[in-house]
Amino acid sequence: MSAENLISFKNVTVCYWQNNMGIHSIKDLVTTRRNPFQSKAILKNITFNVARGESLGVLGRNGSGKSTLLRTIAGVVAPKEGTVEINGSFAPILAIGAGLEPELNGYENMELLLSLYGKARKNTNSIQNIIDFSELSDEALRMPAKRYSSGMVARLAFSISIANEADILIIDEVLAVGDHGFQMKCMEKIYKIKEEGKSIIFVSHSPGEVLKICDTAILLDNGQLIEQGKASDICEKYENLFLKH
Amino acid sequence: MIFIAIFSKIPSNHIDNYILYVTSGLIFWFFFSNVTNQAVGSIIGSSGLIKSINIPVVFFPLSEIISELFNFILTIMVFLVVMHWFGISYSFRMFLIIPCMLLFAIFSFGVTILLSSINVFFRDVGILWGTIQPALFYMTPIGYREDLVSPLISRYNPIYYFIKLGRTIFHDPQAPTMDLWINCICIAAGMYLLGAVVFNSLKNQFISTI
Repeated sequence: MSAENLISFKNVTVCYWQNNMGIHSIKDLVTTRRNPFQSKAILKNITFNVARGESLGVLGRNGSGKSTLLRTIAGVVAPKEGTVEINGSFAPILAIGAGLEPELNGYENMELLLSLYGKARKNTNSIQNIIDFSELSDEALRMPAKRYSSGMVARLAFSISIANEADILIIDEVLAVGDHGFQMKCMEKIYKIKEEGKSIIFVSHSPGEVLKICDTAILLDNGQLIEQGKASDICEKYENLFLKH
Repeated sequence: MIFIAIFSKIPSNHIDNYILYVTSGLIFWFFFSNVTNQAVGSIIGSSGLIKSINIPVVFFPLSEIISELFNFILTIMVFLVVMHWFGISYSFRMFLIIPCMLLFAIFSFGVTILLSSINVFFRDVGILWGTIQPALFYMTPIGYREDLVSPLISRYNPIYYFIKLGRTIFHDPQAPTMDLWINCICIAAGMYLLGAVVFNSLKNQFISTI
């Protein structure tokens, strides 16, 4: 395993505007005449590194900032403070439904996402690989994605992500929705990706899955990184979080 | 058809080649109206992609402009054929329609990035825009002579200048004045700058709301 850092976060703070006043229209804004938005730090002063070939688990309770952390890695969210350095390519964030356009059918979604990642839109090899891995029928792939079940969305999204052959695979709690057979197939593929020396950033609420995939892990709570280290230690601390409450 | 059936019969609204006059105005108006209506929800409509892929958000309103610009070009080509049918001869001056279209597209792009970015935070922008548009349409001399609209209204209506520029290129024996070009350049640049400033100041927070 190379010591070169693939991902480097230094004192990263990410802020979101939060609308706590329920003002979502110009009409309400004019009648109340108050600024409804307040800036809230979602990630606070986060520092960690991921070496090339290392797989990192991200654990934390709901609302702790896990998805925001993934979006910051993917460059979707810009940090307000600190620096993020990424020395590799990454596949689209693999979250439930993320990246798929609901009005487009399966084939069109494949072409769109492949083209956005610089692959030829009509790259027949990549498209055939996606079809084979997803095991979705031609009839299903001709339907708009909005008619897919969450399992079908996960199948298609996972298949597109791995077709990108990127250095970093980002997975956000998506494996839970597929059926058991597909989950096993995904896990096998993830092991293979690991063996190829690529990195995986894996968000899950299941310490068991994190232990299977990840070498190291970080634990987030209320936007702060409270622990980082070996996956087994962090999973134990994560479980202890719930014992306290 | 409504314009031809009603407005052309008003005695005080006598215009030579009324059909060409109204059509040339409508071409510009429909471009602007279609672009703004489609683009106002373009950022919200692409939330799935914006949340998962690092892609410049400005591409979404820009794609609406580019696709509508193709329609605009095709419509103008058909209009040129109709012009010839009405006995108006072609001249090299008609190539000036290209910079005119580009200026109008820049102006429209400024409006779309302004509206689409505010619409992320206040979801009734599209509805409000739908009610403002008819007022803007009737304040623009599309189906009637310019002197039937108050000069004060025309002066502060940015779309008026682009339609006047287009019509002058197509119909008038005189070339458009330098003042008219300067007005259109300033309006297009001003609107683009306003849209870009608002869009850039809000774009980092789209993800928190979509």
